[in-house]
Amino acid sequence: MNLRCELIVEKDGKEVYRGESKSFVQNFAKAMMVIHSSPGNTSLDTGGAITSVLVTCPDNVNRSIYGEWYTIAYGYGGGVNIAMSASNDDDSFGIWVGTGTASVSPTDYNLASKISHGTGVGQLDYEPHTVTSSYSDTYSYVEISRVFVNKSGSDIIVREVGLVARNYWKDKDGIKNDVKFLIARDVLPTPVTVRHLGSLTVRYRISLSTT
Amino acid sequence: MEEVYEPLRGWIEIEVRDKDGKLIQSGRQRMQSFLNNLLRIIEGEAKAVGGAALNYYGLVQSTTVILQDGTSGTAYIEWYSGSSYYGGGVPMALKASDDDDTYGIIVGSDTTPNTLNTYKIYSKISHGTSSGRLDYGPVSVDDLGLDTSVSPPVYRYRIVRAFSNLSGAVITIREVGLVARNYWKDETAVRNDVKFLIARDVLSTSYNVPNGGSATVAITIEVVLG
Repeated sequence: MNLRCELIVEKDGKEVYRGESKSFVQNFAKAMMVIHSSPGNTSLDTGGAITSVLVTCPDNVNRSIYGEWYTIAYGYGGGVNIAMSASNDDDSFGIWVGTGTASVSPTDYNLASKISHGTGVGQLDYEPHTVTSSYSDTYSYVEISRVFVNKSGSDIIVREVGLVARNYWKDKDGIKNDVKFLIARDVLPTPVTVRHLGSLTVRYRISLSTT
Repeated sequence: MEEVYEPLRGWIEIEVRDKDGKLIQSGRQRMQSFLNNLLRIIEGEAKAVGGAALNYYGLVQSTTVILQDGTSGTAYIEWYSGSSYYGGGVPMALKASDDDDTYGIIVGSDTTPNTLNTYKIYSKISHGTSSGRLDYGPVSVDDLGLDTSVSPPVYRYRIVRAFSNLSGAVITIREVGLVARNYWKDETAVRNDVKFLIARDVLSTSYNVPNGGSATVAITIEVVLG
């Protein structure tokens, strides 16, 4: 069984790049590890962070993400470990794009030069995410994608893409953890120019196959 | 032939010792066994948004997994308790306690090949000290960290479990799996507790654990970083 990750880029609906994404960064490994290192047999009257690990955030600050967590003195407690589907216009996590060309490093924590959401100069309009999947005995995949629309009035050249996850835990009293951290980054072999009113679609496809 | 790049891979190491602690058999093989249930958890995380309002409660995101009896189950990905305290959980825990053979590393004696939809250890060796059983130790998970001395660099963590044979006869291990636990609770009740197979390997060699001896299974997960 092989687990693979593909990066697919479309310009105005036409595929312009498809290749292996080789660029998970160590934050992703830590996120997987902290979930797997959790006991999951915590007694009903126990609260707090059962497991946590430090990741490096886009502002180059190390913060804890929780693997297994319970609220203590308030109701409405719970959360999610590595959420990826940021909503429309939300460029704080999910799939990002940028203009940087710095080589990918295992310790990357940010894009080299992120393109922010918006319609101003140098910005792209970040759309919501779409997740599709298919399962069989021999080939299965999960694909997360996001469309970026250029409403800036000028061409924008995209040279890098990334995937940022969100570790979010809260109760009625407040947000107890809301940490966003880069889990993958790829530099495109060929930059893609997005024309004014044109679109760019970025897809990460994680697959399993028996071959 | 160029090796296929796999961003997530693993290695299985097994050591068998006799009643005196002497190493009598060992082996290492590539783990080639991640299953659809793992991908289904990744799908759930990919669909999750986070950011629920402070007064929100209930199930926000879930995913369907295949349980070990072949039926479908629901694994919670993003969930919030009601007014009770101590609400929260974990989507895919592996660190089972001593004597708990319901999740973590599980061993068996069958050699049926996998499909991606494989959902069980085909012939599980249960915990215990009677005939045909092994005494399951606790699962440990060790962070081995980033290794940049290899190309490409990898980040590793190791999942380990020891099995003691107190059954009175030789027991043969031929398959190894990882069963994950999706556990969410509050102070009044367990709200979700499903266990599902995320990886299974048929071993290239049979491992015979003598009476009074032990087997230690270590699964090293490697996230390959470019």
